[in-house]
Amino acid sequence: MELIMEQMPIVIRSLNIGFIQTLKLFFVTLAGALPLGLVIAFGSMSRFRPLKCLAQLGLPGWLTEFRPISCVTRIVVWIVRGTPLMIQLLIIYYFPGLVLNNPIWGGGESGRFLAASVAFIFNYACYFSEIYRGGIQSVPAGQEEAGLVLGMTRSQIFFKVTLLQMIKRIVPPMSNEIITLVKDTSLARIIALQEIIWAGQAFLKGSQGISGQIWPLFFTALYYLVFSGILTILLGRLEEKLNFFR
Amino acid sequence: MKKWMAVMLAGMMTAASLGGCGSTGSTAETEAPAEETGTAETDASDAASEDAAAEDSAAGESDMAYVQEKGTLVVGITDFAPMDYKDENGEWIGFDADMAKAFAESLGVEAEFVEIDWDNKILELDGKTIDCVWNGMTLTEDVLSAMECSNAYCNNAQVVIVPADVADQYQDEESLADLTFAVEAGSAGEEQVQALGLNYTPVTAQSDALMEVAAGTSDAAVIDSLMAAAMVGEGTGYEELTYTIGLNSEEYGVGFRKGSDLAAALNDFFASSYADGTMESVAETYGVQAALIEQ
Repeated sequence: MELIMEQMPIVIRSLNIGFIQTLKLFFVTLAGALPLGLVIAFGSMSRFRPLKCLAQLGLPGWLTEFRPISCVTRIVVWIVRGTPLMIQLLIIYYFPGLVLNNPIWGGGESGRFLAASVAFIFNYACYFSEIYRGGIQSVPAGQEEAGLVLGMTRSQIFFKVTLLQMIKRIVPPMSNEIITLVKDTSLARIIALQEIIWAGQAFLKGSQGISGQIWPLFFTALYYLVFSGILTILLGRLEEKLNFFR
Repeated sequence: MKKWMAVMLAGMMTAASLGGCGSTGSTAETEAPAEETGTAETDASDAASEDAAAEDSAAGESDMAYVQEKGTLVVGITDFAPMDYKDENGEWIGFDADMAKAFAESLGVEAEFVEIDWDNKILELDGKTIDCVWNGMTLTEDVLSAMECSNAYCNNAQVVIVPADVADQYQDEESLADLTFAVEAGSAGEEQVQALGLNYTPVTAQSDALMEVAAGTSDAAVIDSLMAAAMVGEGTGYEELTYTIGLNSEEYGVGFRKGSDLAAALNDFFASSYADGTMESVAETYGVQAALIEQ
C-alpha cells in the first residue's frame, strides 16, 4: 500500500498523458464520423437508377432498377462492419508501406494518430450511417408527401421536417455507440498509439523505475468509467431537451 | 435533384478519403530532408560506402540513401531498461538508445525513437514506419531470417523464473519437466522451452509471463537474464520471485530491413567505436559492460 502511494504521482501523470490521447482520438472520431455517417446514409438510401431509361427496350426489371450508389455503399458498410476494427487499424497503418512501398503515415506519433483517426472515423461512420438511415426512414412517408403537396423541395423537406425528428429518435442508439467508442479507442494500441491502456501496461513491463505493477492497468478502468459517466449524463440531458414533440 | 445530390455526396466521400491519404503522404515526405542531407553524404561516405555499394544491387535501392534523404533514422524500441528507457525529462536513454544516437550522428541524420508493439516489429520494419529495431533484441532464427541483422554486440541468457520459496527444487533442467511455463510468444524463451519439450502457455509479453507466475496461473516463466536482473527479487515489483538456471546463452543484435545496407554500416560503426573505447564507456554508464561482445 505504501509502495502504491509512492508510485501514485508517477503513474497518474503518465496515465493522464495517455488519457489525453484517448480523448483526442474520441473527439476527432466523433467530429469526423458524425457528418460522414450522414453522407453514407444518403448513399445507401440513394434511389439513383441510371439504367431506368432502358425500360422501354423491354429489359428485365432487376437491370433497370439497379441502384449503383446504394449498392456500392451497402457493400462498403458490410465490409467495414463485418471486419474487426483491429484488423482495419493494422491494414490502414501498415498496408501503404508494406504493399505500396510508400509509408504515407510515417513512424512518428502523429502519423500513428492520423492512421488511427482515419480507421476510427470510417468504421464509426458506417455504424452511424445505419442509425441515421433508421432514423430517417422512421419518419412517416406521409410527411414527405404533405411537403411535396405544399410545394417544398426535397432538401427543404429534409432539413425543415425530417432532420430534427430524426435527431430526436436516434439519440438513444447513438449514445450507445458513443459510449462504445470511448472504450474502443483502446484498440489503437495495436499500432502503438500510446493511449491510456498502453500507458497503464507500461508499468507491468517496467517504465520510469516502476516495474511489475498490475494496478496501474486496472486503474485505467476508473478513467473510462468517469468519462462515460459524464457522457451518459450529457446525452441524457440532450434526450430530455429533445422531448418536446410528445 | 435528389439523385444528383446523392451522386455528389458519394463522390465527395471517395474523394475525401483518397485525397486525405494523398496529401498527408506528400507532406510527410517533403518535410523530412532539407538541411541534413548535405552533411550526411560527406560524413558517412568513408567506411561504409564500399559495403553499401556491394549490397545496393541486391536491395534494389540503398536503404542508407533512403534514411539520409529523409534525415531521420527511426528506431523502433520498447520501454526496456537498461537498453532503452526514459530519463526524468522524457528523453530516451540507455545503452541501445545512446549507441543509436551516435550511429545516427555518424550517418549525418537524427535518431527518432518510436515505441512499437513488439509483436509487430517486422511489420513496422517492412512497412517502413521504422528503420531499425534496436532494443536488446535476441538474434533468434526467426529474427535472422526476417531482418538484416548487425553483428551481435551483447551477451544474454534465458533464465527460469520461479517463486523464491520453491527455487531450491528447480536448479537443474530435469527438475523442470512437471512444471507449466509461461513464455512470450515468438521469444527466445519460447524456443528454449520447445527444445526441452516442456509444457507452456504463450503470452504476449515477458512481463505477462512474470505476472502469470506471480498470480500462480503458471508455475514458472522463461525470460531474458538482463530483464530478470532488473525485474525480480529484492527491491522490485516481484519480490516473491527469483531466477534459477540459465537455459542457453544468446546474443543481442540490431535488426534492419531485409537487404538493407545499414547493417554493414553499423558493423563498421561498432568496430570503430569498440576500438576507440566509446562503446565500452557507454556500456559502463548503464552497467552492461560485462555482457559486451568484442567487435
